[in-house]
Amino acid sequence: MRTRAGRHALVASLFALWLAGRAAVPASADQPDEPRPPLEFVPPEPGTYELHRIMRAPEGRVLTVDGRVEALSRFTRERITLLGFIYTSCMDPEGCPLAYRVFGRLKDEIEAHPALRDEVQLVSLSFDPARDSPSVMKRYAGSRLEEDRGLRWFFLTTRSVEDLLPLVEGFGQDVRYSEDRSTGLPVRQLSHVLKVFLIDRAGYVREIYTSTFLHPRSIMGDIETLLMEQRSEGDPARSATSAR
Amino acid sequence: MRLVDLRFLSRAIPAAAAVAVLLAAPLVHGDETCNSPYIAKLIKGQEDYVYVWTLGVEGLGDGWDKLVTVDVDPKSKTYGKVLSQVPVGTRGEAHHMGFTDDRRQIWAGGLDGSDVYVFDIATDPARPRLLKTIKDLAAKTGFIGPHTYYALPGRMLVQALSNTKDKGGVTGMALYNNQGDFIASYPMPVGNGGDGYAYDLAVNPTKNALLTSSFTGHANYMRPLGELIKDEAAMKRFGNTMVVWDLKAMKPKQVMAVPGAPLEIRWSLVPGANWAVTAAALTSKLWLVEQDAKGQWQAKEVATIGDPAKIPLPVDISITRDGKGLWVNTFMDGMTRYFDLSDPHAPKQTYEKHTGRQLNMISQSWDGKRVYITSSLLANWDKAGPDNEQFLRGFTWDGKELTPAFEVDFTREKLGRAHHMKLGSKVLRTAYAAPRR
Repeated sequence: MRTRAGRHALVASLFALWLAGRAAVPASADQPDEPRPPLEFVPPEPGTYELHRIMRAPEGRVLTVDGRVEALSRFTRERITLLGFIYTSCMDPEGCPLAYRVFGRLKDEIEAHPALRDEVQLVSLSFDPARDSPSVMKRYAGSRLEEDRGLRWFFLTTRSVEDLLPLVEGFGQDVRYSEDRSTGLPVRQLSHVLKVFLIDRAGYVREIYTSTFLHPRSIMGDIETLLMEQRSEGDPARSATSAR
Repeated sequence: MRLVDLRFLSRAIPAAAAVAVLLAAPLVHGDETCNSPYIAKLIKGQEDYVYVWTLGVEGLGDGWDKLVTVDVDPKSKTYGKVLSQVPVGTRGEAHHMGFTDDRRQIWAGGLDGSDVYVFDIATDPARPRLLKTIKDLAAKTGFIGPHTYYALPGRMLVQALSNTKDKGGVTGMALYNNQGDFIASYPMPVGNGGDGYAYDLAVNPTKNALLTSSFTGHANYMRPLGELIKDEAAMKRFGNTMVVWDLKAMKPKQVMAVPGAPLEIRWSLVPGANWAVTAAALTSKLWLVEQDAKGQWQAKEVATIGDPAKIPLPVDISITRDGKGLWVNTFMDGMTRYFDLSDPHAPKQTYEKHTGRQLNMISQSWDGKRVYITSSLLANWDKAGPDNEQFLRGFTWDGKELTPAFEVDFTREKLGRAHHMKLGSKVLRTAYAAPRR
């Protein structure tokens, strides 16, 4: 039976090979990085920079598409996690739909390399418990949910605002109350700025992407950086503890 | 309190769904033209408040450094009046401040020490409150004199001016999360052209570029100005560089020679633009920093501000949202100048007005129609006697003339020396706090 550290080393090696292969064919700063406009810079090489432990990912209760209550940590530990808050009714093309497209692209890229499937997972967590019931989230997920053999992509919501608040506050995901100044009347409207959180296996937020940095290429580089760190440090939970 | 908040949010979410689309606001470049591009919300219409980070003056009021909130909505009954003040219980050369990316907090600090004050401005934007004081900057980094507070996603990058060892100008940056926990520090480069000095920082995310400028250390900026300028050796200890960093890696890439203490940095906010401007205080020159066709960054002098022989001391600049205009305040002569930046390689002054006996910061609204000016540079550098005016002055700008709109006399109000400004809005109340009506 292969040890965890050994498995990490193997995966990191395969991942490095895969990236090397990519580099030989498409990846350059001026090439389209769909679904985003091309990056206007060459990102630093994976492993040449540090992703700091920004904060611990918060814990809380979430609902799966099957209506089960689970701890969020069940979906944010043991693998590298990309988590984004969404509303299923979000219309802004640079907001939630962008995150969905980028996640879809990442899923496809990672699935093309089976060794990575068990190292990464995606989480879309709704802000809007009043509208986004488990069944709504199931519809939102569409065919992505059926792809059992691929990369895990969880579509989660919460039972209530009471359950949601510790999560949005813990992640620092702002939700704003607003007013319509043109009419002088209080029009209650919520808005948020798109953020996607990269969480390591030990549950630490290691990067926060806004739309500018939400590029599959940058994210894949960061995933590789974390995999290389895991390989060099062994058990990520131990290394996280020792670093604090 | 929490129950009230929860009830409000419970009501607000379905109401939002019924009344309006729930927005996922994209990142927008620039704030009210000079803040971090990661700031969540622009005030594109009329701002309601100007927050003024104010140096305490011994014997004037409580004497403490304080955050002063002024009503600047012309339709308000309290227009031009002080709404609140939050003293921090110390007097430590209050200087600059900055919003967190979610615009829920203002971080501010003093150049005489290393404490960083965190104010909540989201619960009640008209009445900020002091949330906490971060006290570990010097212990964690060896840096003192926190100056620039720059929002990154979920984090604040703090640029210091000095250090604990010799209180000179060799210093660095510190990274905190929005909860105020220290994450990392980054020393300014020394050697290979780097002088280790620092002042401002500003980010161009699309270029993965962080740009820093350079001033001087505690040993200089805390000395009386008249005494300092006679000290030839001390006057050599000012920064003469700007540094381009790889933002993602937080590693210095290029050191550029920009003599004369380059201070505030303003990136063009036009999408795709690849240039920034700064003003060198001691030489009274505008400099352009631009990426060339090979991807290298170049700095070049592009304009003169006033008569450099008279040392007008440009102390703040404010770029228009279209990148075609630049306000410049000069401390010594009290002049506010406007430069046409249509060609950033050859800015041309098109307007000037004497707006005070001493001037420091200048901020403009997003639409450029309102301009705010304060008076204080540093406690020991401000003028004396009648020239020591301390104020916040509001002006309207029609493209041709600055017209006075209101003034708050910070001495008469027993507030102190008015320094840095940030704009606020009552509509930027967070959803977590119930509106009190």
